Amino acid sequence: MKKLVEIKDVCKIYNPGENEVRALDHVSLIIGEGEFVAIIGQSGSGKSTLMNMLGCLDTPTSGKYFLHGQDVSHMTDDEQSDVRNREIGFIFQGFNLIPSLTALENVELPLIYRGVGKKERENLSKAALNSVGLSKRMTHKPNEMSGGQQQRVAIARAIAQAPPILLADEPTGNLDSGSSKEIISIIKRLYNEGRTVIIITHDPGIAKQAKRIITISDGKIVSDMMNPDYVD
Amino acid sequence: MYLEYIKSALSSIRSNKGRSFLTMLGIIIGIAAVLTVLIIGDGMKATVNGELDSIGATSITVSMDSTKTDKKFSPELLNDIEENIDGIYGVSPSQNMGGSFIVRDNLTYDAYISAGFAAMEKSGQVTIVHGRYFSKSDVDEAKKVIVLSQTTAKKIFGYENVVGQSVQLDAYGPVVEFQVVGVRKDMTLDTAFASFSDSPTLMADAPYTSICDAYGIASDNIESFSIYLEGENKEEVLSKTRSVVENVMGLRGENAVKISSSLGFDSTTDSILNIITSVVAIIAAISLLVGGIGVMNIMTVSVTERTREIGIRKSLGARTSSILTQFLAEAAILTFTGGMIGMLLGITISYIICKVIDFSFYVNPMLVLIVVAISTAIGLFFGIYPAKRAAKLDPIEALRTE
Repeated sequence: MKKLVEIKDVCKIYNPGENEVRALDHVSLIIGEGEFVAIIGQSGSGKSTLMNMLGCLDTPTSGKYFLHGQDVSHMTDDEQSDVRNREIGFIFQGFNLIPSLTALENVELPLIYRGVGKKERENLSKAALNSVGLSKRMTHKPNEMSGGQQQRVAIARAIAQAPPILLADEPTGNLDSGSSKEIISIIKRLYNEGRTVIIITHDPGIAKQAKRIITISDGKIVSDMMNPDYVD
Repeated sequence: MYLEYIKSALSSIRSNKGRSFLTMLGIIIGIAAVLTVLIIGDGMKATVNGELDSIGATSITVSMDSTKTDKKFSPELLNDIEENIDGIYGVSPSQNMGGSFIVRDNLTYDAYISAGFAAMEKSGQVTIVHGRYFSKSDVDEAKKVIVLSQTTAKKIFGYENVVGQSVQLDAYGPVVEFQVVGVRKDMTLDTAFASFSDSPTLMADAPYTSICDAYGIASDNIESFSIYLEGENKEEVLSKTRSVVENVMGLRGENAVKISSSLGFDSTTDSILNIITSVVAIIAAISLLVGGIGVMNIMTVSVTERTREIGIRKSLGARTSSILTQFLAEAAILTFTGGMIGMLLGITISYIICKVIDFSFYVNPMLVLIVVAISTAIGLFFGIYPAKRAAKLDPIEALRTE
């Protein structure tokens, strides 16, 4: 298995000085290509910081982060933007769709920033929306769709440009149980199609769906094990 | 790629139509105000100059720069020019003399005599109503004949058709009798001069030679003369005249000959009108500035409101420059659209005003281009601050806001 994510001895310290907060405290972690990982922790455990770090939204105070063998721990804002665009598909708890754009336009956004031409962009976006079962909702705006549908648009947006990593932050946190099941099954399917999936959650029920479960507490990884109950 | 940013700018403007329009309103009013002032200013200039054209634009006035030479022109030089330069009606000294008309004992009126050659009739200002103008032979023989203006005739004789009568001209001492051969209409200039003084100054034209005789002055003492043009050949006549005068008088390269193509009315009135137009335009431009600040204000609010959207875009891979471009484009599109609407409004308003007060209406295409450029520039200028704010947002912070 090839290394995709490699975090070496990473610390993230907020307010350095007397009242410093060690959100991440000497964390090391390797995730290989094609893994399905859940990172679970209580609020304040540092899991959001870890997710921002993994998603190249944040840089570590110390330590290194290699993504695809490339050191991404100290990059400029624009370099980070490019890495996010190329490597990472985000799925957020709050969907984070742009309200003034249609489903199709939302899915097209990362492709626009990548510089994909109009025709190809449309084809890729339509294919992505088809794969999450929203071929009939392309021209709808977010406020014309249910939460589950909005999250499916967000998933389509995350996979449209086929990034190596899907990074899902509490993907079912805002959804009812029916929609949650739907979303989890789509995520599982994407994993089975060969994508690397990382889910960040506080919900053991969601974490149980993953193949590998990493538990984080007080900025430290306290357990990292294969899920014995994993079912395909 | 930039097309996409412009598209997303357009869609966010559309999704906020009411507010976008109100923001634009400042620019619309500003551009309309500036344009109206400038167009009406142009119309006013064209109209006033058009009225003045009848005085000066068809003639050239030649004089000497008294700081460079004491030389004066001679009648022979004037004849030289008349014979050697094509495309002119004729040449005439433009000498004005004072003095007074003696009507009867103890009653005199100030006189203002234009002394010239017969060609003066072609100045474009002379309209004979009774009798005739003085002729070339009158000039050659220095006959004591005179052409009175209508007002002068009425003032001295009480009626207009006074051809054949004679008037007594007090030429600063000697009193000379002149025979009236014609009566002409009052000139624009006459009325203008008359309005400067309380007592009426009576206008009349007489042969240059006769006036020199009457006043006892040498005839080769011409300070300035006019050339009356046949057509649109002003430049050619100008340069030929300069070379003839400089050659004959030995003034080559001394730049002592002053040639003006009008009586000096155009340039003064022009500059006064320009000052008036500029002042009013500057006042109008202030409203444009206020409009620009309004755009900056709304864009700043919009950036704050859309912090989350900016965070989303950044998380999806938008670079600083992408966000900057998007918001700059939004501001520029707002002001550009406002500028276009303002332009239509300004042209319409100035058209109506020009028609109502009877000014000539003309829209300079350059003005239109400049207006479009300025309104876009306002958007870019006032959009920079909010756009930079948007581009610099930290994606984590931005995603956290509700």
